[in-house]
Amino acid sequence: MPHLPYRSLGRPEVYVPCALLAAAILVVLLTENSFYLNLYFMIFIFAGLSGAWNIIGGFGGQLSLGHSAFFGLGAYTSALLFVKFGIPPLLGIFASIAVALVLAAVIGFPCFRLKGPFFTLATIAIAEALQLLAVYFRGITDGSEGLSIPYKPSLLNLAFESKTNYAVVAFCFMLLVLAISRWIQRSQLGYQLVALRDDDQAAESLGISTTRAKITAFLVSGALTALGASLFAQYVLFLEPHSAFSLNISVNLALISMVGGLGTVIGPALGSFLLIPLQELLRGWIGGAYQGLYFVIYGLALIGVVMFMPHGITAFFTNRYLRLISWLPTFAVKDAAVECSSAPARAVVPATSPEPARMPTSSAIPVIEAENISKRFGGVQALFEIGFSVQQRQIFGIIGPNGAGKSTLFNILSAVFPQDQGTVRFMGRDISEITRPYLVCRMGIGRTFQLVKPFENITVLENVMVGAFCRGNNRAAAMSLALDVLDFVGMTEKKDLPGNVLTLADKKRLEVARALATGPNVLLLDEVMAGLTPKEVNEAIDLIKRIRDCGITVIIVEHVMQAVMSLSDRVMVIAEGLKVMEGPPQEVIKDERVIRAYLGEGYELTATG
Amino acid sequence: MILLQIIVNGLLLGGIYALISIGLTLIFGVVRVINFAHGEFLMLSMYVAYFSYFFLGLNPYLSLIINVPLMFVLGVATDQLIIRPLRNAPSYMQIFATVGLSIVLLNSALFFFTGDYQSINMPFAKKTLVLGGIALSYSRLVIFFSALLVSIGLFLFLQKTDMGKQIRAIAQDRMAAQLMGINLNRVYMVTFGIGSALVAIAGGLIMPVYYVFPSVGVYFVLTAFVVVVLGGMGNMVGALIGGIIIGVTDSLSGYYIDPSLKEVVYFIIFLIVLLVKPSGLMGMVGAEEMGMK
Repeated sequence: MPHLPYRSLGRPEVYVPCALLAAAILVVLLTENSFYLNLYFMIFIFAGLSGAWNIIGGFGGQLSLGHSAFFGLGAYTSALLFVKFGIPPLLGIFASIAVALVLAAVIGFPCFRLKGPFFTLATIAIAEALQLLAVYFRGITDGSEGLSIPYKPSLLNLAFESKTNYAVVAFCFMLLVLAISRWIQRSQLGYQLVALRDDDQAAESLGISTTRAKITAFLVSGALTALGASLFAQYVLFLEPHSAFSLNISVNLALISMVGGLGTVIGPALGSFLLIPLQELLRGWIGGAYQGLYFVIYGLALIGVVMFMPHGITAFFTNRYLRLISWLPTFAVKDAAVECSSAPARAVVPATSPEPARMPTSSAIPVIEAENISKRFGGVQALFEIGFSVQQRQIFGIIGPNGAGKSTLFNILSAVFPQDQGTVRFMGRDISEITRPYLVCRMGIGRTFQLVKPFENITVLENVMVGAFCRGNNRAAAMSLALDVLDFVGMTEKKDLPGNVLTLADKKRLEVARALATGPNVLLLDEVMAGLTPKEVNEAIDLIKRIRDCGITVIIVEHVMQAVMSLSDRVMVIAEGLKVMEGPPQEVIKDERVIRAYLGEGYELTATG
Repeated sequence: MILLQIIVNGLLLGGIYALISIGLTLIFGVVRVINFAHGEFLMLSMYVAYFSYFFLGLNPYLSLIINVPLMFVLGVATDQLIIRPLRNAPSYMQIFATVGLSIVLLNSALFFFTGDYQSINMPFAKKTLVLGGIALSYSRLVIFFSALLVSIGLFLFLQKTDMGKQIRAIAQDRMAAQLMGINLNRVYMVTFGIGSALVAIAGGLIMPVYYVFPSVGVYFVLTAFVVVVLGGMGNMVGALIGGIIIGVTDSLSGYYIDPSLKEVVYFIIFLIVLLVKPSGLMGMVGAEEMGMK
């Protein structure tokens, strides 16, 4: 949808930031004192660099402590091209960006498959290794003596006679990073990153390739860092491996982002406006006189921020800022009043119920067909030669005592882990070889988790939007689909609550909504009624029926017998990994083998005796 | 003969790396925190050994009596004051906090002790044992066999004592262990203390061989990270084997490639391990997939 920026200029949430940025650049242009101009340059460049770090470290929650690798590599690339080959830095920055992209890919591919601290350690190791290499190859880099960059003022060389120009260049860099951050935050990638930061497994189950999202964010982050570093190099005109690749730079970018507010667009810039002047002042006062004292204070600040203000100053300002915004008037700029971002798009999506992505017409093929599924964990045979098939528009119940293997079966169907043997067919197609949950989701198998995993730091609506992006929607379409789904499950009035304040029943309902938003043909519901009150159970039963009526096949794992028996068209009973029987609910409930599996042999004795 | 000498040197060096890494991997395996200040703990314990020698005339081996309890207390304090409030925070918060601690300790040392290199002049440290043409430094032999002894001792402690069993239980399953009545906080505290006490042994033992200066820990801790990942995070035997492998690599690449590039060589090994077998040589398969929260 065309969205002309000048039309929205009349809205306070647009003109306030614009006015602040305009004021900042005005201050720069009116300043002549070179001390202050130097300070502005540092603030802007670190605002941009921290913002770049924040894309992977904040949005994605992947702690990099080796961004100095991008910084050093970017700075050296453009500087060396300039010094050795005379290529002007304005062109050289593209080489810097290219080199940073390669580096990000090299680090990202091995590390992002893993959880835990591997990524952090790998980034540190890479930065250290690059530092050593930069010292070693002194024929190219001039080693520890440092590389002096000749001063030849011109725009092409990104070198200027007035410090004002440097500050303006740094300001533009900051603007670029802010714009990209904001764009990412509102894009599919932004939602994916927030989701995987909260819960990797749940994100995968909603069709998100978490590895790809992390690598994309890392590529962008690394490229922007290298760009900023090239600008920095042209300003200081001197590079030295031990400072360009130092751990201090990496830690500083992280610290600035954290003080400002991790994972927010504006946070790193705010952090830089606060911390850079402080750092420059402190360094001036005590840097020379008392060796080490400056960094002692710095380290203490880092610990203090982590322990006492983990959400940064942005969290403190956000509400005040929003209140201010709500007081300010909206000015009519042309037809600004008509402008509304989501309303026109909503009409495009059917307003009644969420439609499954591909509605099959032939009903002969079972939707899900499993044969001979076996799975062993060490010495435990979790599943042994389980087979079943589910017809379209059926509700298929799976019951069994605790530890029977029900959740294991779901995890196999949704490719959380592979089966040892057996095949799974979905709409007649063998999906046994698919090993990533997000691919299964995209094919049309949605699921919920027994232990609820809502994304806690975003709203209910945004939770559902994460799922809605699965079908390649843009933001407006995803939002309207999410609103429809929320309406369908009856959570419209709770759409703006954060995920962590919901009751258990609502969290479970939210999981169903999120899975529905991915447009599944089959929905796997893992104990969505456990722990609910009788009234809530009835609501859930009603919801599941309505889901079936939309044409979605439902497989439920459940302990609440009343629900399973009233809902299911067919029920499968498993116990200790073995299939006990399968049939219509009335038959299952009378079957002796089932009673024995649930209540044990003793029950039979007392019942008959 | 040169090759053999290099390998022997590498083995002995590996003993040092192993000794430093065992405490780190223990803390990681149980408390699930990477202590980025581990290298600074090593640096501090070297200074303790240095000052004990300087002021009290204590042999660094003897000053372990002071060193080990001091570092145990430092570890306990770190856990209780910094890590404990962050137990339920995302893991990157804990990493941040220990990075902060590392910066504070390093620069406090710079402030109080200056950046000068200090060493202990011990006649014993210069003596070597010559066996069939291979020179073996006594002090490095002491370190190597201490690393073996410490590993065995730690293994016995974890297998035989109540506390050791509790530590293993917590390492395997936090939730289940707590349900069995194990005090999580106490186990974490003690583990952090033991891990730090182990690095005190390393610090005391290497003092006769190495110079001490404020950033000495940085060099060792980066190596220790590689060792820990190579051996398998949280695996004590892995740390021992990983340490020795890195020691030999260090020694060989220092001779055949270039001394200033030996770190680059094992950072490359580090990345290859991440690519090929991220669980490490001895680590549980799939441990890296469980997510360390």
